[in-house]
Amino acid sequence: MSITNKITVKRAEIAVAVILALCSIALMIKSAENRITWNAEENMGAGFLPFYLSLGMLICTILTIIKFVLKRSPQSKDDSPFIDAVAFKFIAVTIISLVVLVLAIGYLGIYFSLIFFLAFYLRYFSEKRISFITIFAITTPILTFLFFEWMLKIPLPQGVSEPLFYPVYDFMYGGFSFAVKMIFIILTVLLPTALVFLTSRFIK
Amino acid sequence: METVGFLLDGIFTSLQWFNLALLIFGCLIGLFVGAMPGLGSVNGVAILIPITFIIPPTAAIIFLAAVYYGAMYGGAISSVMLGIPGASTAVATVFDGRPLAVKGEAMTALTAAAVGSFVGGTVSVILFTLFAPPLAEVALRFNAPETFALMVMAFATFVGLGGDDVPKTIFSILIGLALSTIGLDLITGKPRLIFFNIPGFLHGINFLVLAIGIYGIGEMLWTLEETKGKVQMSKLSVNMKEVGRAFGALKKTIMAMNIGSFLGFFVGILPAAGATPASLMSYGITKQLSKNSKEFGEGVPAGVVAPECANNSASTGSMLPMLTLGIPGSPTTAILLGGMILWGLTPGPLLFTQEPEFVWGLIGSLYIANFFTLVLNIALIPAFLMVLRIPFAILAPVIFVLCVTGGYAPTQSLHDVWLMLLFGFAGYILRKLDYPVAPAVLSIVLGPLAEKALRQSLILSDGSMGIFFDVSEKPIAAVIMYIAIVLLIMPAFGPLYRRLFKKKQTA
Amino acid sequence: MSIIKKLALVVVSLSLVAVSSVSSAKPFSPKKPVELIIPAGQGGGADEIARLVQGVIEKNDYASKPVIPINKSGGSGGEAMTYVKKKAGDEHTLIITLNNVLTTPVNQPELGIDFFNDFTPLARLITDTFLVWIATEGKNTAGVETFDDFIDLAKGNGLVMGGTGSMSEDELLLGMMRGQFGFDAKYVPYSGGGAVAKGLVGGESDFTLNNPSEQMGFYQSGDSKALVMMTPERNPAFPEVPSSYELGYPDLEYYMMRAFMAPAGIDAEVEKYYTGLLHTVYHDDEFQTFNIDDGKLMSWLEGFGLKDFLAIEYAKHGEIIKNFN
Repeated sequence: MSITNKITVKRAEIAVAVILALCSIALMIKSAENRITWNAEENMGAGFLPFYLSLGMLICTILTIIKFVLKRSPQSKDDSPFIDAVAFKFIAVTIISLVVLVLAIGYLGIYFSLIFFLAFYLRYFSEKRISFITIFAITTPILTFLFFEWMLKIPLPQGVSEPLFYPVYDFMYGGFSFAVKMIFIILTVLLPTALVFLTSRFIK
Repeated sequence: METVGFLLDGIFTSLQWFNLALLIFGCLIGLFVGAMPGLGSVNGVAILIPITFIIPPTAAIIFLAAVYYGAMYGGAISSVMLGIPGASTAVATVFDGRPLAVKGEAMTALTAAAVGSFVGGTVSVILFTLFAPPLAEVALRFNAPETFALMVMAFATFVGLGGDDVPKTIFSILIGLALSTIGLDLITGKPRLIFFNIPGFLHGINFLVLAIGIYGIGEMLWTLEETKGKVQMSKLSVNMKEVGRAFGALKKTIMAMNIGSFLGFFVGILPAAGATPASLMSYGITKQLSKNSKEFGEGVPAGVVAPECANNSASTGSMLPMLTLGIPGSPTTAILLGGMILWGLTPGPLLFTQEPEFVWGLIGSLYIANFFTLVLNIALIPAFLMVLRIPFAILAPVIFVLCVTGGYAPTQSLHDVWLMLLFGFAGYILRKLDYPVAPAVLSIVLGPLAEKALRQSLILSDGSMGIFFDVSEKPIAAVIMYIAIVLLIMPAFGPLYRRLFKKKQTA
Repeated sequence: MSIIKKLALVVVSLSLVAVSSVSSAKPFSPKKPVELIIPAGQGGGADEIARLVQGVIEKNDYASKPVIPINKSGGSGGEAMTYVKKKAGDEHTLIITLNNVLTTPVNQPELGIDFFNDFTPLARLITDTFLVWIATEGKNTAGVETFDDFIDLAKGNGLVMGGTGSMSEDELLLGMMRGQFGFDAKYVPYSGGGAVAKGLVGGESDFTLNNPSEQMGFYQSGDSKALVMMTPERNPAFPEVPSSYELGYPDLEYYMMRAFMAPAGIDAEVEKYYTGLLHTVYHDDEFQTFNIDDGKLMSWLEGFGLKDFLAIEYAKHGEIIKNFN
């Protein structure tokens, strides 16, 4: 409670403006690695545009800071919390789970990471039954695989799970007829559903 | 009128049952691929190139045209339903399409997009048939200085788009432009702004990464805060009254349709411009000329019609530089161009006379594709609207999955997914503090085109900016530039003018 | 949660069983789709060949899994090369080369690419040559009929040359010609061969050094003409264009190689498989016809011959870059 109350719009405004000013300065320094001059002898250097664009950014943030000090902007007078406690929790959980998802994609590969992400996210945010969540968390990656890898031939990262997909590829590009493949697709989508229904019966 | 004959042949060829089946299938694939954030017609077209070795070229072209057009519509669907522009051509569609959907008028937005696209496509096919060969000459004379002048004009049409806070709006424009300079500098061959030597920065920041970040992740965070995850995303009602209202709303968009169709076509035929600047300029100009320009951005049908009409019109128009000059305006046309070369067709000035069947067959099938996508689209609107019935708690993770895959797919790099998350989070915080985000997205789309044209021109002129203003040497560039300057300063004089005018009234 | 765990266990163990049953001592063949990295954008010369190879393999079922072209155009090939370097030992990645694989490691030392140790060269299929092009109705090149006319004109006047990007092959070639013939030109970079050709015909530049296929349309329409081809012999696609050897400039010889490489550290078995696959593609009728019609030189090279060729070209490019700066 207390943290979200302390971060007022006013404080957020000045903090963000200062951070953006620092970013602009960093961009200017980085741009200066290339030539930033433009004069009669030499044409525009590679760093010219990024340098002056980030200088412009710096000026804009300084103007924002001045407006803040002079209390000319609505944010500079706003003492209400930047974000309320409940929303803060939701947003924090969302961002952290997304970061964990992308980290996991690099290692586990996208398909298995998605299962865990969806299961966690739905469990946390929705009031759906666990059977629904399980089906959802398993069929979504399957559909993603079929859409990207089969239909569009866009490989998505598989990380350490890559060998698990070899038999699938063998099937996809083996000499099976289209009908067999379609039946297989339908089964792969239906199977988890059926499995979950059965197991949930027994577990109850 | 020989060309009309060829065009009719093209149209009839696409109406044969095998070709028609391919066409409808292609439209569906296009719609689907286009509606996925991050994926676009380029993905649909790319998978087809190997298939075109197996099916005859005519059928292949019809299929490709169908995917191309379908994806154009698909981009609008994700702009309206998810609030994420599916492609750079659909950025402007978000500005009014999304607010309409949130207001519960998604039906109106989708109808406007579909009908607008159809009108744009129709007008451009007619213009193409009538004027293509003479216009090829204009396209040939449209070089670097002219392109830069056009880009300045595109920016100028957007002056009114920012928020009330001037420094924050300018900051947003500048950061978009600065981000667009990341990557290898074409002119000097030097890598720029490669932070921490991460190789992912070498390909620069794709507009999609920023757009999916801000409009996908950022918008979700925003909604999450507003609704605390409990409410549905938007209101919805589908009944006959609603359908009637959707079509009724189109009456007010005639001006937007005119601007979009004609502007779209003429910008489209210019090499290196293409459908994106066309749709942005069309939105900007329609807004400035509209009587109720204040309502733009809050959800008016004209704001959906203008860019959608223009991008479809431009995508037909952009076939001209591709066919006659061999210059692809987009990755999709680049692949199409590659396909043409593989089929043994050489793009060039002679293509129209040597291979009229191919050229007019392509245009004819584009037109038929346009028609069928309209039909499919109107028929599928109820299905699209189902998206809005999904509870937010389920839709949110699905959108996150779409964002992650969409951020990854175009460049096949996880680096872009991280950047997308960063932009999403930063965009959310900045939006809460009244920094407008749309100008940054526009700048990153137009920035690279503008920089390249500017610096090419400056090499030609030995560093003199005079190249853009010399009416006798470069008349086209100069005229566009002066119009752009007038557009730029007009809003500044607007209040002054109004004050003077009002004084007169009271006096 | 326990259900998820159980299910995950079931899925994993099932798949493991399937994997172990498949893997046995057979000669190598790809287990998943092969990524073909293109160090350039869509629509360029390398992209065209890559998609042609993909199509030929798919149509004739030359491989058990498809080849998937992936464009990584960032940093003049730097991004693609870094990617392949990181994939050391990966059996499902190939890269098609432009000459930027020879120049980028030198131009961008910060990438840390070691051309000779980070890749396994497989085969060279095609070489593409360069021609000197002028517009037929160019206002600054009026009256130029031969390459010698052109040199005389270029020496006195600062002509404008359109090219595909700074430090790319054509700018290096300009550097080579500058040393050889003593003329210089203003270099305007465009974003691709098509735009370069259009800039020439549109009157923005005075000459270009472009690949045959990129200028083909304007050549056929008579809008632009070639003065010299930088090869020892004439090319059947451009019968009336003299070769540089004929004109007495044997030093003016330059090729763009279309070769394929795999990451470093792959088994000899794998190397053999892909070289064999490329060989089959090379001898495919459709592949041959297309490339010959497009003015390309079919020039198969593998093994030690290829390694020597690459070493010579790498040294040559290093030299050109050194002289250029």
